[in-house]
Amino acid sequence: MNRTMNLEQRTALTGIGFVTPTVIVIALILIYPIIQSVVLSFGQSSIDGSEPYRFVGLRHYATLMGDGRFWNALAVTFTFTALSIPLELALGIGLALLMNESFRGKGLARLAVLFPWALPTALNALIWRWMYNSDYGLFNAVALQSGLADRPINFLGDTSLAMASMVVVAVWKTSSFMALIILAGLQSIPRDLFEAGRMDGMTKWQEFTQITLPLLKGPILVALIIRSMDALRTFELPFNLTDGGPVNATESLSLYAYKAIFDFLDFNFGAAVVVVQFLVIFAMSLIYVFALRNKD
Amino acid sequence: MKFAMKGAVAVATALTLIAPLAAGAQELVMSIGSRGYGGMMERNIEAFEAANPGTSVEWLKVSDVPGDSRKLYVTGLTAKSPTPDVFAIDVIWAGEFAQRGWLEPLNNYLGKDAIAAYNPSFLSAATIDGTVFAAPLYVDGTHLFYRSDLLEKYGIAVPKTWEEVIAASKTVMEGEGNPQLYGFVSMWAKIEGLFMNWLSFTGGNGATFFDADGEVAVNSPESIAATQTMVDMIYKDRIVPDSILTMKPDDARTLFQQGRAVFLMVQDFVYAPLSAADSPVAGKFDFTRNPYFEGHPDAKSTAMGGWLLAVNANSENKEAAAKLVEYFTSYDAQLAAALDENRAPGRTDVYDAPEMADATLLKKLGDDYAVGVVRPSASTGNLYPRVSEVMQTEITNALHREKTVEQALNDAAAEINSILGK
Repeated sequence: MNRTMNLEQRTALTGIGFVTPTVIVIALILIYPIIQSVVLSFGQSSIDGSEPYRFVGLRHYATLMGDGRFWNALAVTFTFTALSIPLELALGIGLALLMNESFRGKGLARLAVLFPWALPTALNALIWRWMYNSDYGLFNAVALQSGLADRPINFLGDTSLAMASMVVVAVWKTSSFMALIILAGLQSIPRDLFEAGRMDGMTKWQEFTQITLPLLKGPILVALIIRSMDALRTFELPFNLTDGGPVNATESLSLYAYKAIFDFLDFNFGAAVVVVQFLVIFAMSLIYVFALRNKD
Repeated sequence: MKFAMKGAVAVATALTLIAPLAAGAQELVMSIGSRGYGGMMERNIEAFEAANPGTSVEWLKVSDVPGDSRKLYVTGLTAKSPTPDVFAIDVIWAGEFAQRGWLEPLNNYLGKDAIAAYNPSFLSAATIDGTVFAAPLYVDGTHLFYRSDLLEKYGIAVPKTWEEVIAASKTVMEGEGNPQLYGFVSMWAKIEGLFMNWLSFTGGNGATFFDADGEVAVNSPESIAATQTMVDMIYKDRIVPDSILTMKPDDARTLFQQGRAVFLMVQDFVYAPLSAADSPVAGKFDFTRNPYFEGHPDAKSTAMGGWLLAVNANSENKEAAAKLVEYFTSYDAQLAAALDENRAPGRTDVYDAPEMADATLLKKLGDDYAVGVVRPSASTGNLYPRVSEVMQTEITNALHREKTVEQALNDAAAEINSILGK
């Protein structure tokens, strides 16, 4: 034993000691299932162990490539992400700017904005499912009684409307999350920048595009990463709102994987879906990370 | 997703840990939902324990939502848990569970006479190559509920055919002039109930899922014509609201109960809420067998559902467990359940009991089951969930007019053939 360990080494050792339990726990609950999923996806086995694990290579991935329902789920997932994220971002920036101003009842307004975010997604979905209902829902009652529509609109039962209806719920729910992160960024922008701008005769719009927005790039990117990852693995919303319907118009990758695993008990194929989804999200994160690095 | 799988494993482990407790004495665990059979449980268990000293039975209450209890069973059975010893299974799981080796064959435990007494079409769902894997506990099926007051008002006889249902709907809807009133509602959301509905329609036109040679026949001309009627009821006859495409059984029941539909086709469980004292349609409705198409009066069109009792293949007390199943499905126990709880017996001989003369409701239900059609769950075994999913998807495609009926059913046939490896 080297008793002349210097301070630096001892600090490092203490640090490792503190970090190790966390690393082990994370490895067990995060890394192990990921590896297990990959292993499952390359093999064929029965869930009760009656059929031993047999390596089948890329067979499940080949099935996946020829499976129209998989491509549909992938398209649904991307469409949902591409539609909801920009809307959430625009609304989020608007809300953040609003909450950054001082006005009477500001605390109450902030609370109200956060409310949808605070509720569990499953509950939100159920509330909206009732409001969308075409026989006793709120929207149809208003539309029919005001004469805006002459027959009930089946928001969740129409293949072309269901996705839009789902995006509306997502935007309603998560814009406030975007707003919160952007608000934090807004408050860290030094006031004197705006004063300087005003002295140079900047208009409010110029202030926004030339001072606020460039300085918000960091927080915006962070919000985008978190929300895109969420959107790419969306499950509770389609599960509770539409169950992937009508037909499979709102069946996301997560929902498809869930059905393969828990309804069809095909763990190997389901694992292949999960692995592909993992790769998609991983690629998306890489793109964002590079974007972050270059913009800094 | 991964956490869910971990959760499932945890549940399975927990079940395995409970198991040894039941090993020593003759302690049986029986699981069934309380809405499904709660009324009969305590008295049946008491009587069984009295007749079998040394054996005790614990009732494990599980969810009445089939999807939920299925997940519980699947995780436990996968882990080869010996608990529960006896459990209630949905008729559509029987083939799959048996094929996975989770159910104990019952032929050696139940007498030939007992087996012969069970409703044959229902029993066939739990029979593979002559081996019986579960005993019918109670039956339910879809029926055509109708507003007797409205039909009477317009002098219309109770419809027997779909053609008559459509005509009657139009007459009543026109006569009432109420835009809130629909002709026909049912469960056409993309759920198992949609597949049941489709089997009722196509069965009523003389179509079958598999033809006489065992080939997939979902795209037969009879089947296509019947499915086309479903589509036309929405878009051409306009007696069915668009919202039917998102309706589950209870959504349809709610509309009918609010007086907003003339006809309703769902399972018998709706009878109780519809006839409750505070129901707006109490005393104004009745039911009859599901319609058939003109020229097919003998067609089987009652889509059957219901529950069976099975013995866990890993149970440590199989003999006693089988006895419990035998008791619950015995003539006396089934008669009591029928008279006191309106549970339609899984045995046909109970319907002929003299006491049943006053049970007019059950008699009527039983008449409809005589023209029952079961889902192809026995012959497709563990592939049934996939087959059902394909059917639900393609029927939905047709109902949404994303595909023509013919194309949707051709696609369904092709997909099912590929799933079954034909």
